[in-house]
Amino acid sequence: MPGRGRSVELLAGLAGVAIFLLLWEASARFVWKDPQVLPAPTQALLQAMTVLTPRRLAEHVGISLFRIFAGFSLAAIVGIGLGILCGWSRWATAVVRPFVEILRPIPPLAWIPIAIIWFGLGEGSKIFVIFLGAFFPIFTSAWAGTAMVPPVLLRAAETMEVRGLKLLAKVVVPAAFPDIATGLRIGFGLSFGILVAAELIAARSGMGYLVMQSRQLGQLGISIFGIFLIGLVALAVDHQFGVVIRRTIGRWSSV
Amino acid sequence: MMGHTIGDGRWAMRLVPIAVIALVLAFWEWSVAAGFVRAIRFPPPSLIVASGYELLVNGFPRGTLLSAHVGATLYRILLGYGIALAMAIPLGLLIGSSWLLDRMFAPIVAFCRSVATLSLLPLAIVWFGTGEASKVFLIGYGCFWVMLSNAIAAIKQVDPVLIRAARTMDTSTRDVFAKVILPASLPRIVAGARVALGVGFMVIVGAEMIGTTRGLGALIMEARTFYRSDITVVGMFVIGAIGLVLSIFLSRAEAYLVPWQQHQRMAA
Repeated sequence: MPGRGRSVELLAGLAGVAIFLLLWEASARFVWKDPQVLPAPTQALLQAMTVLTPRRLAEHVGISLFRIFAGFSLAAIVGIGLGILCGWSRWATAVVRPFVEILRPIPPLAWIPIAIIWFGLGEGSKIFVIFLGAFFPIFTSAWAGTAMVPPVLLRAAETMEVRGLKLLAKVVVPAAFPDIATGLRIGFGLSFGILVAAELIAARSGMGYLVMQSRQLGQLGISIFGIFLIGLVALAVDHQFGVVIRRTIGRWSSV
Repeated sequence: MMGHTIGDGRWAMRLVPIAVIALVLAFWEWSVAAGFVRAIRFPPPSLIVASGYELLVNGFPRGTLLSAHVGATLYRILLGYGIALAMAIPLGLLIGSSWLLDRMFAPIVAFCRSVATLSLLPLAIVWFGTGEASKVFLIGYGCFWVMLSNAIAAIKQVDPVLIRAARTMDTSTRDVFAKVILPASLPRIVAGARVALGVGFMVIVGAEMIGTTRGLGALIMEARTFYRSDITVVGMFVIGAIGLVLSIFLSRAEAYLVPWQQHQRMAA
């Protein structure tokens, strides 16, 4: 519906959030009346500010981001590499795809026991699980993007005698960029969703650890703070992702 | 498809995957038998098949058959998924058809979607205990927000021309909704329902980590603590197979419900 400016939209959004928070605050204070069951937003924030030092908080966020970026970067490198290879060569497809298709339906969290057996209780198993979460969407999009380059482009390149690796590097891969970008973004979201489960594996720090540990200490307010923290960090990084994609790939394609 | 042929026939493309898988399985079996890798780290195919049979007949832990694990997991997923859909679709239709509601809910929906479902585990335990309810809640939460945002988007992307055309023909508001808006938004709703089920499968394994020995997620975790990685692998493949079957079923249902939509893939 036209004719309403961005400021009105923003105002409506803010009003929605405000109503939500007020309802929560009121029901926590006047209906449940037990911060051990449902802390009000203000109680949660206050508890977090008294218990957590900024330095400890930065540590939790930092180590979680490290795990996510380590797992995600591995997934991006392996996923894009294998995806392009499979989109380019039918032989690679025949060899690689069966394994991908067999492993894809297995939920990443179901790998946790195997991850522990293979990589122990340290960072390796956490990074591996996060890697698995991001890998499949990245691989699939890179493969689909390379395999389904518009034939017009290929024929145009052919008439200009562009072939082989040059065709791959100058035409096929750039044409697949928008697909790859979408896959990266979806994969990134999934790796955030898996973080908490990954940090259930014998972690001593991280945002997921903070959420779980605080409940055991009876500090539910901090758990809630941690839940919001994970959500906000995920949103912020995803937003940044969008900006980077628009600045780089958006120049020649609308993503 | 890319035209990068290395002189092959179509039959080769069918045979190569099977041959490669057979080769890898044989190599795997051989390297365990020869003692290069330990069976606990890489349970060989023969052991996995034997353990699958054991799970089917004797169960693990003893007495809890595979069918009981599958039943418990399916029950939780379908219950949480069903509740989420029953709440999210009507709510999404309502929000999506009102400009103000849509703008008011937009930040909340975006945020709640980006909250990692499993981070709610501690809240679920405090609110619903360690029984069935907390698992159903977690699955429901994950499915709900995905379904809601898709239902809202489904209504919003209905072509206004269709609505105006119906109005010029003196259609009542109710009929516009039932005969124009609803069918036009159905493809996206069904696509959203498929994505939501995928989320449910992601969440179930984590949800079953707490306070239960029944269910495939519990089986997978439980088996490791008894050094039965072979059982873990069986559980992984079973849950993968169920997910695959359900998603194929939903694609069929999609083709049946919205035959006019030639399988247009929607992103999550």
